[in-house]
Amino acid sequence: MTIEFSLSPRQRETQAMIRQFAEGIVRPESLKWDREHGISHDFLRRIVAMAQAMGSSFMMGPNSADTKTVEVDAETRKKRQIGLTTIVSAEELAWGDAALMLCLPGPGLGGPPVRASGTPAQKERFFGVFADMSQELKWGAYALTEPGAGSDVAGIRTSCRKDGKHWILNGRKCFITNGGRASWNVVFATIDPALGRAGHRAFVVEKGTPGFSVGKIEDKMGLRASETAELVLEDCRVPEENLLGGEDSYRTKEGFMTAMKTFDTTRPLVASMAIGIGRAAYEYAVDFVKQNYVLSRPIPRYAAIAERLARVGRQLAAARMVTWRAAWLADQGEQNAKEASSCKALAGGAAIRACIDAIEICGAEGSIAGEHQLLQKWFRDIKVYDIFEGTGQIQRIVVSKRLLPELKSF
Amino acid sequence: MIGFEPTEEQKMVRDAVAQLAERTLRPRIREVEKLRGLPDDVQQAAHAMGLPLAAFPEPVGGSGLGLVTQVLIEEELAFGDSAAGFALSGPGAYGWAALQLGGAERCKELIGAFLGDGAHQRFGAVAWGERKASPDRAGLVTTAERSASGGWKLRGEKAYVLNADRARSFIVFAQVDASAGWNGLGAFVVPADARGLRVLPRVDTLGLDAASFGGVALDDVEVPEGARLAHGGDAGRLVTFFATQGLIVAARAVGLARAAFEVTRDYCEQRKAFGKPIGHFQAVAFTLADRCMDLEAARAMVWRAAWMWDALSHAADGVTEREALLHTAWAVSFALEAAMRAGDDAVQLHGGSGFMRDYPVEKWMRDAKQLQVCAMTAEQADQLAALIALGRPVDPALVLPGAESQSVFL
Repeated sequence: MTIEFSLSPRQRETQAMIRQFAEGIVRPESLKWDREHGISHDFLRRIVAMAQAMGSSFMMGPNSADTKTVEVDAETRKKRQIGLTTIVSAEELAWGDAALMLCLPGPGLGGPPVRASGTPAQKERFFGVFADMSQELKWGAYALTEPGAGSDVAGIRTSCRKDGKHWILNGRKCFITNGGRASWNVVFATIDPALGRAGHRAFVVEKGTPGFSVGKIEDKMGLRASETAELVLEDCRVPEENLLGGEDSYRTKEGFMTAMKTFDTTRPLVASMAIGIGRAAYEYAVDFVKQNYVLSRPIPRYAAIAERLARVGRQLAAARMVTWRAAWLADQGEQNAKEASSCKALAGGAAIRACIDAIEICGAEGSIAGEHQLLQKWFRDIKVYDIFEGTGQIQRIVVSKRLLPELKSF
Repeated sequence: MIGFEPTEEQKMVRDAVAQLAERTLRPRIREVEKLRGLPDDVQQAAHAMGLPLAAFPEPVGGSGLGLVTQVLIEEELAFGDSAAGFALSGPGAYGWAALQLGGAERCKELIGAFLGDGAHQRFGAVAWGERKASPDRAGLVTTAERSASGGWKLRGEKAYVLNADRARSFIVFAQVDASAGWNGLGAFVVPADARGLRVLPRVDTLGLDAASFGGVALDDVEVPEGARLAHGGDAGRLVTFFATQGLIVAARAVGLARAAFEVTRDYCEQRKAFGKPIGHFQAVAFTLADRCMDLEAARAMVWRAAWMWDALSHAADGVTEREALLHTAWAVSFALEAAMRAGDDAVQLHGGSGFMRDYPVEKWMRDAKQLQVCAMTAEQADQLAALIALGRPVDPALVLPGAESQSVFL
């Protein structure tokens, strides 16, 4: 083991390729997707074909290798929980367009819980859905949030009760990325709210299940090309074999832990995306300053602008290092909950600051729609990165609890 | 490869220093402060471990462990006592200046004087700073003129000199070409007993009490031509010298931040208010979480910058000097500010007790502030980072710590 920071030749190659793709192909489409609230299936199909041709699953989100290899031996699973290549790729792709990543076909955020808790048969069934997307694109999704339970995950009210060979689910889920078009959603419900976490169960609810319907599709500040759906479960009859992990696995606190473990792998990924957006804004501001200020004439604002650019650059660099470390820990098979939350909190904060400062550095220009629409889009896109996958405040709660062992709750 | 784990050799060195820090330095921080220097037995222990020369390349008489090892050592030393790194005998910054501005041969020759019996009582010093800028030109006020004998005659007064009263030899910076500003400097090796050199009284400082800060008056001090370091006038090398010294100070800042954070976290678990540990209130816990994140980020940034200089010295991994400077600048400003926040919050969370010298935290707060004016300030680092980001040449007038911007202790 060493302390070193050079990407492997393969990682560098992947990074360069995605950077090129992001710049040449994604960026020019980005504003159109934002206006049209979606990305054409033709475009997404091309990406899927490209990723398959490269024999790489880097664009498909974490652990998407499962789409091909259903059973991964324990050693590999331990070693490749996130993958630095995925983290590096996510930053590059989000630099191009953050919503694109959320729109990519595949299991998405639904992947990690199925992989972590699913039985071999469930993994084969649910990941098998994505084996062939040549005719039709498919998505998976993760449905935890409810109108009355966001960060306070333990407070979910969607109910489930056993009825013969089925479970009956009732409730509403909201803010579910790709939830409306997903082939299946991992839906969290409770057998009894009074039981808290111990009462939680996770189900894979397939599209077309009786009693399952899609409600409102949200209109959002940013990430407008990404679908955010409300899901309605009205006496929804889910077959018992869709209970993730099988009934025996819920004898312990497993249910809630399933939901939480997902975050240890997805938070660094989300952090990396935030850094990608922040870097886009930072580089935009640097280019603006180069073209408009420093090189042509002396500027009284120079030192202040330089200081601000440096601050933005360094905060992003700081977040990136903690993100890499969180991913590296996961890849070593070590606990990374504290670091995963830390990088998410740092990245969200740094990237929001980057977008705000970039607009200010461009001055009045920065707020004029037209030429600077991309910058404004990033400003709108980035805010949610300090909210979804746990708000900045939630990340600090997670970190605090790791720092103060006696602290159980506030 | 990306890695965040020291090699076995680095761990051995680090663990040994950690032991010295825990058993010897920390219990005696107040004694050392009153003594205004490290006791002889501590100096001896550090020399016995080979710390002063650990990072210097083997060809010049060092152990060749590199800058990554150096920052690991510095963090541990500073964790024990944040002033220790500054008060440690040996060539220190003098040796690095000799290497970077004089070359390997010259460095080997100069470092030779710091080896052997009694080495633990020998100090070198760099005389760079000045209290007032020249009113009519850029550069240093101290001048070097040709002497009748073909050598140089130095005249002026140097301030903010670390170890001025302890040094057996100085590297003195002076203006050789008055019309060339920051590109017209020279660096001269001057023995402490040179005729016309007068050591000025030690100054009292806000923090880092164990470190001696003072100055020297140069009243037509004559040195031979050979006293001049070959590259002392190379502004680019000077920037690198200050940046790498800044990085070493940044590593001390990480050690200080860790000490302040850990002691404060423990205090917040023990101290009760309103019936529970104060750490169990969110306002306190979140502050601790933020300081923990700062620490993680600062350390990783310092490691990454140090790794870049090591890679650069092996001409490996395609690292460029500008890249290394950029990452160093980011690490310096981030770590220095992180340490200040850590010291400030440590006193704050200790409440009234924090203000009392019964607790160590007030020392850390004072030391953190003092650290911020050693080698390179965050402001200078920010200017450096911005110049590189904007693709501009590194202007020594903006980056070197002159009296008209911010002089630093070195």
